[in-house]
Amino acid sequence: MNAAPAIMDFSDRLSPMVVKELRQGLRTRLFGGVLLTLHLMLVLLTLMSGGAENAAVVSGWFDGIATLVLCIIMPLRGFSAVADELKSGTLDMLALTRLSAGRIIFGKWAAIASQSLLLMLSIMPYVVARFVFGGLDLFGEIAALFYKWLAGVVIAAVIVALSTQRQFWLRAVIVFLPMLFGGCGAASFMMMSRMGGGMSSGLVFTSFTKSGGGGSVLLVLGMAAWAIFFFLSLAATRIAPAASLLSVIKRSVNLVALLSLMLLGWLTGSSAAMGMTAAGVLSLLMMDALTERVNEVPSVYAAFYQRGWPGRLALWLLAPGWVTGLAYSALLVALVSAYVGWARSVEEAKLIAVGAAGTWMIAALVQLFSTRKSRDLLPPFIIFWLIVNVMIATLGSLLMIPWAMKTTTVWFTCALPQLLQAGYTTAQAGDKAALLNLGMLTACIWPGALLIAAVFAWRRARAARQEGWRMIHGDQGGSAV
Amino acid sequence: MDRSQPAVVVEDLHRTFGNLKAVNGVSFSIDHGRVVGFVGANGAGKTTTMRIMATLDSPGSGKVSMGGHNVVHHPAKVRRLLGWMPDSFGTYEHMTVLEYLDFYARALGFKGADRLRRIQEVMDFTDLTPLADRMSNKMSKGQTQRLCLGRALLHDPQILILDEPAAGLDPKARVELKNLIRILAQEGKTILISSHILSELGEMCDSLLFIDKGRIVHHGDAESMVRGTETAGETLVNVQIAGEPAKLIEWALTAPLIKVEEETKRGARLRIQAADDATLAGVLRRMIQDGLPVLDYHREERRLEDAFIDMLGQIDKNTFKAQQPGELPQKNAEAAKL
Ligand SMILES: Nc1ncnc2c1ncn2[C@@H]1O[C@H](COP(=O)(O)OP(=O)(O)OP(=O)(O)O)[C@@H](O)[C@H]1O
Ligand SMILES: [Mg+2]
Repeated sequence: MNAAPAIMDFSDRLSPMVVKELRQGLRTRLFGGVLLTLHLMLVLLTLMSGGAENAAVVSGWFDGIATLVLCIIMPLRGFSAVADELKSGTLDMLALTRLSAGRIIFGKWAAIASQSLLLMLSIMPYVVARFVFGGLDLFGEIAALFYKWLAGVVIAAVIVALSTQRQFWLRAVIVFLPMLFGGCGAASFMMMSRMGGGMSSGLVFTSFTKSGGGGSVLLVLGMAAWAIFFFLSLAATRIAPAASLLSVIKRSVNLVALLSLMLLGWLTGSSAAMGMTAAGVLSLLMMDALTERVNEVPSVYAAFYQRGWPGRLALWLLAPGWVTGLAYSALLVALVSAYVGWARSVEEAKLIAVGAAGTWMIAALVQLFSTRKSRDLLPPFIIFWLIVNVMIATLGSLLMIPWAMKTTTVWFTCALPQLLQAGYTTAQAGDKAALLNLGMLTACIWPGALLIAAVFAWRRARAARQEGWRMIHGDQGGSAV
Repeated sequence: MDRSQPAVVVEDLHRTFGNLKAVNGVSFSIDHGRVVGFVGANGAGKTTTMRIMATLDSPGSGKVSMGGHNVVHHPAKVRRLLGWMPDSFGTYEHMTVLEYLDFYARALGFKGADRLRRIQEVMDFTDLTPLADRMSNKMSKGQTQRLCLGRALLHDPQILILDEPAAGLDPKARVELKNLIRILAQEGKTILISSHILSELGEMCDSLLFIDKGRIVHHGDAESMVRGTETAGETLVNVQIAGEPAKLIEWALTAPLIKVEEETKRGARLRIQAADDATLAGVLRRMIQDGLPVLDYHREERRLEDAFIDMLGQIDKNTFKAQQPGELPQKNAEAAKL
C-alpha cells in the first residue's frame, strides 16, 4: 500500500496531538493565507525602507504587523481549540486513548506555538534585509521579534485555557474585553495579574522585557514558561477525569515557582520588585486553587493515605478541590505578605492580605451562587471577577475626584477589599493606619465565610475519604479525617 | 484479565441530572465473550449508563467495574480494555481516513511499523482501504460508522461498548455491520450494543437487557422476552388455503377453542386456546379431515417489538395499580446475570 509515506511523515517522538493539529492546521486556508499576506506586506515594507527618512515609520509598521500576527492572530487560533472537541464529542474519544488531559491540552498549545515559531522564523530574513539596507540594531530587532513570539505563546496558553469553556460568549467577553481596554492581547495577562494585588505588577513584567542583561532575560523566560504551565494545567484540570491527581503537580510546581521568585529577589537584591510580582502571581494561583470542585473519589484520597503522615499532611494542601485550595491559598498569602512585609513595608504586606481577601470574596460568592449542576466553578469565578472589577473601576475613579467627600468615601472602601487600595492611597496621611486596620478587620469576613462553607463541603466528602482510607488500611485501625 | 469473573459488573447504578433520574438503580453483569443488546426507548438511560461504564461520566452512586477494575478508581486501566463507539461519531475536519486512524493509533501508543501494520489490519477488517485518502468528515453514514468502529478496535480492546451503531444505516450497511460484530464476537470479545431496533439485536445478541426510565425491566434472550409476555395458553396460527378464505373462516367459527384473530388475503390468523404441540397438530389434522385445502399452517412468533411494548404496558398498568405485591415483573431487585 502507498499509505506508509503519508503517515510516516511525522516522527513518533512528536506528541500525537501536535501531529494531528499540525496536519489539520497546515491544511486549512488560514495558515497559508496569513503566511502569504504577511509576506506580501513585509516585502512591500522592506522595499520602502530604502530611504533613511521613513525608517522610523517603516519600523513602526513592521512592529505592528509582527505583533498583530504573533500576539493576536496566531493565539486566537486556539479560541475554540478544546470547545470544538467538547461539542463534537471527540474529546471523549481522546480521553479514552493513552493521552492524558495534560498532553491533550499541551498538544493544542504546542501546535499553535510551533506554527507561530514558523511564522517568526519566516519574518527573520526581512529583519536582516532591513539591516542591510538601512542600519538598524540587528540584535535588538531579533530580540524584539523573539519577545513578541514569547508573548504570543503565553497569550495562546491563556486562550487555550479559556477554550475549555463551552460558552462562546464567555470566551469572547474575556478575550475581547482586555483587547478593548488594553489595545493589545498582552494586556489580558496583566489584567489577570492585577486581580489580587491590585498593583501594577504588569508594569514589572514589561520593565523586565525592556531592561537588558542576561539575568532578566532568564527571568522573563522563566516567567513565561511558568505562565504557560499555569494556564495549560488550569485547562487540563477542566477536562481531566475526577480520579486525576493533577492538583498535586499543579500546586507543587506553583509553590516552587513562587518560592524561587522570592529567592531570586533575595539573591539579586531586587526583593521589592519580586515581592510585587509575587503578589500579582498570587491572585492567579488563588483563582486556580479556589475553583476546583470538591473531589469525592475515594482513590484520590487513598493515594494520600498510602504515604503515611506526610501524605495526610499533603492532603490538606494538595488534594483536589477548593477546600484544600483554601488552605493552600492561605499558605501562599501568608508567604507572600511576609515576604513583602520584609522586603518593602508592613503596610504593603497588609494591603496584599486585603487584596487576597478580595479574591476570597469572589470565591465565597461563587460558592453562594454555584449550583450542583454547574460542574466547573471557573466560569462563575471569572464572571464575578469581571463584575467586581467593573465596580472597582467605577467606584475607584470616584475616589480620585477631588470634590468627592474624601473622609466618608475613603472609609466606605473598607466594605470591598479590592477598593481599599484606592481608598488607602487617597486617604490623608493621619488616617492611613486606622483605615488599614479597619480594612484588615472587615476583610476577614470573606475568608471566614469561605471557611464555614469549606467545613460543610469537607464533611460532604467525608464518605469518600473514609472509603479511601479503607482501600489502604482495610477496616482495622484508625480513621480518615 | 481474570476470565472467571464477569467482564462487566454494574451494581445499583444511579445518575441524576438535576431532578431527572436518568439512571435509577441499574444492576447487571456480563460474562466474558457475550454479546448483549441494550434496549430502550429514547431517553431511557442507555447512553448515560454506557458513558459511565466507559469512564466518561461519574456515577451518582453505585459501582461499576469493567474487567475487574472499578471505573471511578482506575479509569486508566479500564480505558485500556475498552473500545467505545459513541452515538455521535466524531470525525475531524481536514483529516483523511488514514490520518484519522493514524492519529488515534499514535495516541494509543503504537509506534513505527507496528502502527502501520495495525492501521492496515483495521482498515482491512472494516473495508476502509479504498477510502484511505477520503476526508474523514465527508463520507456517508455507513462509511463513517465503519471508520468509528475501526478506531474503537485499534488497540484490540477486550470489551466493546457500541452506542446505537446501526442508527441511520441502510439495510446493506446494517448487514455488514452485523457481520463485523459477529466476527468480533467469535474472537471472544465482550460486546454491549445499544439500540431501539429490537429485531436486529435479537439476531445478533446472546441476550438482551431492557431499560425503561432508568431501570432494567427485563433481561434474558429474545425468546424468553417474547414468551414472557405471551398470554398464557394461547397460540397464534397463520393459515393459508387454496381458494376462498371464507371457507376457512366459516370452519373456524364452528370449531371449538378457536377464534379468528384477523382475516388475511389467502386465509386467516387464528387464535387457538392451547399451547402444546399435540393440540396444534390436532387442529391441522381436523382441518384436513374437514376438506380444507391447507397450503400453509404455521405458528406465528410474536414480534419482539410487540412483546416489548406489551411489557412496558404491563409495567405501567401495574405501577398504576398501586403496587400490588408479587405481580410486577420486578426483576430489577436482583441483578441481571447475562
Ligand atoms: N448531560 C445531561 N444533562 C441533562 N440531562 C441529561 C444529560 N444527559 C442525558 N440527560 C437526560 O437523561 C435521560 C437519559 O438520557 P440518555 O441519553 O441516557 O437516553 P438514551 O437511552 O441513550 O436515549 P436515546 O435512545 O435517545 O439515545 C434523558 O431524559 C436525557 O434528557
Ligand atoms: Mg442514547
